[in-house]
Amino acid sequence: MSWELGDRTAVCGIGQSAYGRSLGRSAIDLAADAIGNAATDAGLTPADIDGMVVTFGSPLGADADTLAQTLGLDLRFYNQTWAHGRFTATAVQHAALAVAAGMADVVACLAAVSFSARVRRPRPPQPAGTPKRPKLGGSSDAEGAREGGGGHGEDPVYGMTSPGAGAALVAQKYFDRYGATSAQLAEVPVAFRAHASLNDDAIMREPLTIEDHQSSRLVCAPLHLFDYCLVNDGAAAILVTTAERARDLAQPAVTLAAWEPLPAGRREFIWSYPGFGIAQQQDTDYRAPGPSEGIYGRAGVDRGDIDALFTYDAFSIVAWLALERWGYCEPGEAAEFTTGGRIGPGGELPMNTHGGLLSEAHVMGWNHQIEIVRQLRGQAGPRQVPGAQHIQWANVYGDSIIYRAAGRG
Amino acid sequence: MADSPSTAYARPRPFVTTLNKPHWDALREHRLSMQRCDDCGHVRFPPGPWCTECHSRASTWTDLSGRATLNSFVVFHRAYFAAFDDAVPYNVAEVTLAEGPRLLADVVGVANEALRGGMDLEVVYDDVADDLTLARFRPVGGP
Repeated sequence: MSWELGDRTAVCGIGQSAYGRSLGRSAIDLAADAIGNAATDAGLTPADIDGMVVTFGSPLGADADTLAQTLGLDLRFYNQTWAHGRFTATAVQHAALAVAAGMADVVACLAAVSFSARVRRPRPPQPAGTPKRPKLGGSSDAEGAREGGGGHGEDPVYGMTSPGAGAALVAQKYFDRYGATSAQLAEVPVAFRAHASLNDDAIMREPLTIEDHQSSRLVCAPLHLFDYCLVNDGAAAILVTTAERARDLAQPAVTLAAWEPLPAGRREFIWSYPGFGIAQQQDTDYRAPGPSEGIYGRAGVDRGDIDALFTYDAFSIVAWLALERWGYCEPGEAAEFTTGGRIGPGGELPMNTHGGLLSEAHVMGWNHQIEIVRQLRGQAGPRQVPGAQHIQWANVYGDSIIYRAAGRG
Repeated sequence: MADSPSTAYARPRPFVTTLNKPHWDALREHRLSMQRCDDCGHVRFPPGPWCTECHSRASTWTDLSGRATLNSFVVFHRAYFAAFDDAVPYNVAEVTLAEGPRLLADVVGVANEALRGGMDLEVVYDDVADDLTLARFRPVGGP
């Protein structure tokens, strides 16, 4: 296919709030920190922002139209996905299309969430011994209660609830199909924690061992506690503009070299790739794009040129399936691939160098985009991947962006 | 649970719509029924207004064999719903029906530790309330 948008759009600013388990601040308040810091980073002011895409609105997050009114932004263009974490790349792609088409000049892409504010809502007194309820799933399972059930396989009729349960279903099938084990899967959160130990912004920084993982409680078996990401408060934003404009701003430009949109249909289940055989997927062989096919060809790179890989790590198992979906290893080989420090600090293919959703914070993937940009600017400090030129955001659910270090104009 | 009157059934109930009502009505009559395309024969689930393979709108609700294999399963160790507190740890299973579609349910008559991917299952009907019957599965030849 022809590809005319390569390197025509760029990330010009990044910004975040504090991240924490319970910051005691509203989502809109946190959003202002992220947007304001992103504008300052770019050498802009909030008045320069005329577009916005939000990926996680109410009831847990801040909505785009409310943000515009509350923060005094005059938006020519805005859009918002439903309150669901998978739309990070979709938001960036829509922002890039908007600036390329002249619909906006500078688009803020973000999520701002305050899970703690939600669980602090007044509740009637509970009898002693009442189990503590999780912040997602159960009676608050809005996903599972909708027509057709939830996007992660939720079906509350059978007690099937929470995004992690769908990931557990994939993990069990993976273990059965390939003979992999939970102890092998532990390598993923252990590696991401090692990255997070180098990141002062990370909520979880203390070292994690395979033994810690194996002795942590089962939540939805076969997944243990440390296979699950954090649930926290925080906001993170990036600013997207044209590459031409980005070159005139304060930071080295990071361009969008190529992207792959988010697919849907019966071939897809959010936590597995086509052919894996979950939900109504066929149970067949899967063939990943070749090293110079698809997004790699459009970006003009070989997969071997990718210096670091970032993925939406809501659960450890999806990092394995992302590696297989994008051809970094063959189906069934991820358990072996992720051993020996390959995806950890200084590894052959570092993944989620900020610690990801598993150890830094859950900001719907926006913290990942920020870290990608830091790496490609050479601003990642002790976590810097030496000479990083190309970084791929690539997810188990099939969307991707290859970002390129474009330097100063 | 079959002794629970409908007013006391505390677990989440299905989201019954114009599309899936025949499925739930059939379960009340202890039948597992899905739409078979009149044009290409494809059996589809979840229920939908046209065939997911050929997009024909012509279909017939057809009783299925109730035979399945265990595609994957999970075991909940955390109590998300108060109404499941006494069931923890409980399993949820995704089964592949002999006719092709996958269905979410649970497996009864076997310990969670004995669940194995690929095991042969058959449907059982559990009248959990006066107005609600759930499809569950048990190992073939099991209790």
